[in-house]
Amino acid sequence: MPILPEYSLSGRVAILATAGGDQAPILAQALAEAGASVFAVARRPELLEPVLEALNSSGPHGGVVADAATPAGIAQVMDAFDRQHSQVDILVNDARSMFAQPFGEITAEQWNTVHSRNVLATFQICQEAGRRMIQRGYGRIVNIISGLAERGMINGSAFAASQAAVLSMTRCLAVEWGEHNIRVNALGTGWFTVEDIPLEEQQKELLVRYTPLRRKGHPRDIGPLLVYLCTEGCDYTTGQAIYVDGGLNAHP
Amino acid sequence: MLESLSLDGKVVVITGGGTGLGLAMVRAMARAGANISIGGRRQGPIDDAAAEVKALGRDALAISTDVADSAQVDKFIADTLDHFGQIDVMINNAGAVQGNIRKPIWDITDEDWRVPMDINLTGAFYCSRAVSKPMSERGTGKIINVSSGFGLRAGRDIYMYCCSKGGMIQLTRVLSFNLAPYGITANTIVPGFIPTQQVEDSSLSRSTPRSGQFLPIGKLGKPEDLGPIAVFLASPASDYMTGEMVIVDGGGLAGGLAPTGHAPVIPLEP
Repeated sequence: MPILPEYSLSGRVAILATAGGDQAPILAQALAEAGASVFAVARRPELLEPVLEALNSSGPHGGVVADAATPAGIAQVMDAFDRQHSQVDILVNDARSMFAQPFGEITAEQWNTVHSRNVLATFQICQEAGRRMIQRGYGRIVNIISGLAERGMINGSAFAASQAAVLSMTRCLAVEWGEHNIRVNALGTGWFTVEDIPLEEQQKELLVRYTPLRRKGHPRDIGPLLVYLCTEGCDYTTGQAIYVDGGLNAHP
Repeated sequence: MLESLSLDGKVVVITGGGTGLGLAMVRAMARAGANISIGGRRQGPIDDAAAEVKALGRDALAISTDVADSAQVDKFIADTLDHFGQIDVMINNAGAVQGNIRKPIWDITDEDWRVPMDINLTGAFYCSRAVSKPMSERGTGKIINVSSGFGLRAGRDIYMYCCSKGGMIQLTRVLSFNLAPYGITANTIVPGFIPTQQVEDSSLSRSTPRSGQFLPIGKLGKPEDLGPIAVFLASPASDYMTGEMVIVDGGGLAGGLAPTGHAPVIPLEP
């Protein structure tokens, strides 16, 4: 099977920040399969474990448990990273917690927690990794976001606003750090699952029938695109969100 | 999971594949394993492109086609199906940069308006129409439209090019929505400023930057920048992606509210 060498991440070091979820192990595998060394970050040990397991702990992979949204946590992340690696080429932020609640019932504390995990942690890790990337004059940052960055949904305000915040930060960082040879893009997803549910079963759900391609996405559906956005060859695309959502963005 | 980025055994049809961005995509797709049917108005460049594809061990056709003529488009697609037996990917890349005459709106004649609209937008429609039936019968297919940053933003006295390229983005969305039940996806590549001989020779060259100093990344694009993204969109790796666009523009469209380099520092109020 001929595969373009442009998709290789051989020799590259990637930080994968995750808020947990079943997607992280598969994204870690995609990066590793392309040849990158992956350093995973998660808030709790039980969120990091599956990622390290998926990476088989072989090779130069590793990770740390820390809350990147706190000053102590981000310091811990970068200390652990710097002990293992001398450079960071790639930063993938998949650090988002889903949350849905009627607007009137959302407490300020809940709002802050969602924005702390989804936005502040991403901001801090971009700042730290970006500092190192600027020094070397090279970097690729991919922020994985939800299509709700662009659309409204009942009960979605806190989460959707956090996703729009990350998208906006993506655009600003792209134009701010373009001259340092750093590319910053967002990869947007729709309704995803890691379970391999038969199509007929899936399509009993209205949400699935509403999706033009009539199935839920699987992290496998974004793995190769994530890899491309992390390559050196992805040189002329920056500040963009690319959605892989089964056609929802074009839905009337 | 990365083997899905291969185009091994796929049949790709591309218009305008003999020069510029089209040729760069042809080269990348052939390297990724695709057999390619290349359309273009002039036989010489598409013959050369087909020879390059064959030199890589893939099969290729070069069929002189004016995409603004639906009879020629239908024949191009029929001949491709006769030869290859199937079409997996249709790339609508033919563009009329030369046809776009830059004039104030009151000086644009009906004919000035019609010609570039016919080639860019109607041509993409003709090709999509011609392939969608055979694709739907196989229950699989990918349509890729090559638009332009001018399809999303305005250019000075660039009416036809902007409108036709904007129309292609909408064509993509409507195709994606309606052909999803048949297993067909549609996406758009939106190139920004990527110098080619075609743009250089056209009136558009007066609206395109000479250097990358006005782009966030500080440099202009190269046709080769489109290779990996064209291969991705043509490959099974993009199966869950439809109705979308991928912008390849050096960061220009991410900004735009202030000129490149504008970097205000405003302290937070107490």
